[in-house]
Amino acid sequence: MVWGLRDIVLREGGPRMVIFAGKGGLGKTTSSAALAYAAALAKKKVLCFSTDPQASLSDIFERNIFGKGEVEVAPNLYVVEIDADAKVGAYIEEVKQRIKDMYKLEEIPPEIEAYIDSSVAEPAMYESATYDAMADYLARGDYDLYVFDMPPFGHGIRMLTMADVLTSWVEKLTEVREKAREYDEIASKLKGERLVKEDEILNELKQIRDKLTTFTDFMRERTKSAFFMVMTPEMMSVHDTERALEAFKSIGLSLAGIVLNKVLPRDFHSSPSPYISYRYRQQESVMRVIEEKFGDLVVAAIPMFPREPKGLDGLREVAKHLVDGVTKLW
Amino acid sequence: MSKGRFISSLRKALTEVSYGAALHGQVSAVLKTRMYIEHMFILMILGDMLGFPILPPYYSLRLLPYAVPNVKAWKHRFYRERDFTDVIYG
Ligand SMILES: Nc1ncnc2c1ncn2[C@@H]1O[C@H](COP(=O)(O)OP(=O)(O)OP(=O)(O)O)[C@@H](O)[C@H]1O
Ligand SMILES: [Mg+2]
Repeated sequence: MVWGLRDIVLREGGPRMVIFAGKGGLGKTTSSAALAYAAALAKKKVLCFSTDPQASLSDIFERNIFGKGEVEVAPNLYVVEIDADAKVGAYIEEVKQRIKDMYKLEEIPPEIEAYIDSSVAEPAMYESATYDAMADYLARGDYDLYVFDMPPFGHGIRMLTMADVLTSWVEKLTEVREKAREYDEIASKLKGERLVKEDEILNELKQIRDKLTTFTDFMRERTKSAFFMVMTPEMMSVHDTERALEAFKSIGLSLAGIVLNKVLPRDFHSSPSPYISYRYRQQESVMRVIEEKFGDLVVAAIPMFPREPKGLDGLREVAKHLVDGVTKLW
Repeated sequence: MSKGRFISSLRKALTEVSYGAALHGQVSAVLKTRMYIEHMFILMILGDMLGFPILPPYYSLRLLPYAVPNVKAWKHRFYRERDFTDVIYG
């Protein structure tokens, strides 16, 4: 049985993309940051990327990195917290400028401009912008390891399945475009002309497709990516995790393991406080359920710390448990 | 028209137009078919504008600049036709 993420993630030929999934507030960001830091200490060049608009990585690394691009917070450890608002804004301006340049216009036709502006309001825009940035980093391939800190379970999964939807749409568009090009060729042959113009749209589509498929390839390949679920020793979390495992299965992703976070330490058992010893006994009964239901899937346990783990020192402490597996359960 | 029906008429059109054009083998027929394909393409990009969200907006915006010259004529045409298949088969 594997214990600790070191043998799963930091071994030779290990995955290049790691994602922690799970309900809100259970420790996805803490786990992502701790693993990223441990990997950097193990001489891997790491990118820890947050899709969360709450600037939680700024918080945990105690540095303001929001919207600042790749920031090196420790040797080999780069952190990105994307400012999706700003990215969408810049993107919209780029589209408008492109139209002006292409058609030598001073002003964008009003109905087109209204259409562009209205799409800014869609929440899907922000999701896509974040997603696009993730796919960009992966496609560039500058890092040995990518740790993506995703939003709570439902959203995270939706973002991942979006890759599939997008890829299939881009493929359909490419198909239609290729047909158009075929007809251009037939027409020019019939007229005895030579077709010279490259279809720019086709090139654009191919670029989008290549980027998206890099991402889906990573996701689907067991050897390239590892998904972990974060849970806590509470019955509610057991139920959520069971449902999440089903969801994972249904979209064809396999789970690399479960991380059990906020585990009350053993000495709580003999605490003079009846409240604390009661909580501990309750945890013990949930632990039995977890062992029975998930058993070998659990690959690390992190104790509940007296204070929120923050900064590089705090993360090193978390990593001892998460990565090196110093806390054994059964 | 539902999204499912739209997609199936699109697929049908794609196979039938290629067959039709090969049969005619005439410039005008080819150009006409070519125009229909262009319409389909724009519908896929700008479906949103007509209440058919097809492609997620982030990527449809990236393709929008190429569709600009066609938007007006095309919107007009789309609303005039009874059904999308009429647009395809003219
Ligand atoms: N083992 C732990 N001991 C004590 N506090 C912890 C532990 N793990 C996480 N926390 C604290 O719990 C809170 C939630 O953790 P974290 O931000 O990592 O969760 P998350 O899953 O990323 O949440 P969200 O879904 O909101 O992004 C934070 O305040 C964090 O400092
Ligand atoms: Mg978080």
